[in-house]
Amino acid sequence: MTQTTARCLILTCGNTLRSDDGIGPWLAEWAEEKFIHDARVRIISRQQWTPDLAEDIASSESVLFVDCSVESAPGSMGIVGVEPAAASQGLATHHVGAPELLALARDLYDSLPATAMLLTIGAGSTELGEEFSEPVLDAIPQACALLERSVVDWLREQDQRRQPAILNE
Amino acid sequence: MSQTITIDPVTRLEGHGKITIQLNGQGEVEDAHFHVTQVRGFEKFAEGRPFYEMPSLMARICGICPVSHLIASAKACEAIMSIRIPHTAAQLRRMLNLAQMVQSHALSFFYLASPDLLLGMESDPAQRHIFGVVAAKPELGRAGIALRRFGQHIIELLGKKRIHPGWVVPGGVTEPLEPAKRDEILAMIPEAYANIGLALGAYKQIAESFRAEANLFANFPSLFLGLINEDESVEFTDGALRLIDSHGAIVEDGITAARFTEIIGEAVEPYSYTKFAYYKPLGYPQGSYRVGPLARLNIAKTMGTPRADKELAEFKQLSSGPVWSSFHYHHARLIDILYGIEKIEQILTDPLILDKHVRATAGVNRLEGAGQAEAPRGTLMHNYKVDENGLITWANLVIATGQNNNAMNQGVLQAARAYVKDGKFTEGALNRVEAVIRTFDPCLSCSTHAFGQMPLVLTLLNADGEQVDQVIR
Repeated sequence: MTQTTARCLILTCGNTLRSDDGIGPWLAEWAEEKFIHDARVRIISRQQWTPDLAEDIASSESVLFVDCSVESAPGSMGIVGVEPAAASQGLATHHVGAPELLALARDLYDSLPATAMLLTIGAGSTELGEEFSEPVLDAIPQACALLERSVVDWLREQDQRRQPAILNE
Repeated sequence: MSQTITIDPVTRLEGHGKITIQLNGQGEVEDAHFHVTQVRGFEKFAEGRPFYEMPSLMARICGICPVSHLIASAKACEAIMSIRIPHTAAQLRRMLNLAQMVQSHALSFFYLASPDLLLGMESDPAQRHIFGVVAAKPELGRAGIALRRFGQHIIELLGKKRIHPGWVVPGGVTEPLEPAKRDEILAMIPEAYANIGLALGAYKQIAESFRAEANLFANFPSLFLGLINEDESVEFTDGALRLIDSHGAIVEDGITAARFTEIIGEAVEPYSYTKFAYYKPLGYPQGSYRVGPLARLNIAKTMGTPRADKELAEFKQLSSGPVWSSFHYHHARLIDILYGIEKIEQILTDPLILDKHVRATAGVNRLEGAGQAEAPRGTLMHNYKVDENGLITWANLVIATGQNNNAMNQGVLQAARAYVKDGKFTEGALNRVEAVIRTFDPCLSCSTHAFGQMPLVLTLLNADGEQVDQVIR
């Protein structure tokens, strides 16, 4: 199945019935509205990341993974680069991480995004529930700003890289 | 002194189960059991709910085959309403069910089973997963992922969600098919054919090197049950059930959902939350039978589509009668996929497929209803009773994995006897015992209507029931 090429892919993960785990899907909805008129941005929200997403990643110039983190302080924000990594023993077939997805994109489709980052928001609670904890609620404006800035910066950098090529034509 | 080996949990399955192998004082395998260890109780908490909620409620049993539950449940509700759904709705549901079968079979074959088949039963478990397959055979990895996407994308196009679509309702479906979606699905068909062709070709080459496993993986006579059309072609959504014996003779035919519980009983064993279905006239366990891809192909005289028919003819060369070895579930699964793609293409060329009349309505006209369909892993039956207000007073689900349960247990015992020597098991032996279960592609979440994780533990017990060894991974 041929994929739509995206300049920037936002790939979120989380369960909206598990409190702060739903921050990824929430940010996906926010981004859908924010970039609704920008065809360069594609957003995919899933409860779990699965191997079939490798094709979407391979056909994107940049990818921003978004997930909650149970290892970080509640409400804290982190954004780090992601590199392809081989899968470990006991790999689940229903869920893979961002490094494994990048490795799959590379190994299956011989293509990797120029930029791949992981944005995490520290979870205060992942118990059953549809409400965010206070720390995550407080962090939402910053998370939105970070997400938007990342996307806008990447698109600008991509435009700049394209510029000399256009001038040389 | 006897010993017991436990595999807990069994890996690369849909859900959580364990295997125990009991050894006698000479270190020989005396008995083996496949345990399904969790329970969720959907049948109980459905009580008191309005019957029309049942399809979307019951679909939550499983994230892999929710469509089968949607369809069997909706059909049970339609029996309560005493209605026949519009032709177009039936065709659209059939397409949805086939799309789910394709994606589920792709998951089973490429993600769960192919690491054993492509990398070998004895290969390093650290590499024995989909990433290992991708490294060894990237073209097959791409084909598997693409086939899964093919099925999932059709489900999303029709039902608006990849998992738990709410489109199937009692009476039909909520919305007709739009021309653009029909065209989009048709455009995906050629690539799907190419991918399943690649997989079938690769499988046939690989299968030659697994003759020993084919002889030992649940290879025994049994009854087989599956849906079939009046022209004896394979059916997944409508039709009626046929039960054949191990030599292919018809034991029961034209079994409607309403008759299902007249002839099929469910036994309980203390070691598993999954029930054991059996054919009542033969009793339990003599009346145990198998369902799913192997049963469907053993029962059908034709697939009803040209490409799959060619493959069916080749498949039937494996035996002069029904194929007994469960190892061949893998092959049958690939033929199912090919059939699914062809049938979806046929359905989309139905001149009425864009018809707007896709739902019938009615209230409670009967106080009991049953519905059946073929889930990817076999026959699925939902049976409900309601009060005059349409509230559920009783529900029973007979799941494919429960219908294969006795065969899985027998298969584990057969493989354990062959591969566990002198009271010891090697990594390859452990994997082969698990691989027997994988051939059935059981859905343990469905079978106990239970939550599932997917790790594995194998435990070895002595004659006194004391644990002497254990492998966890």
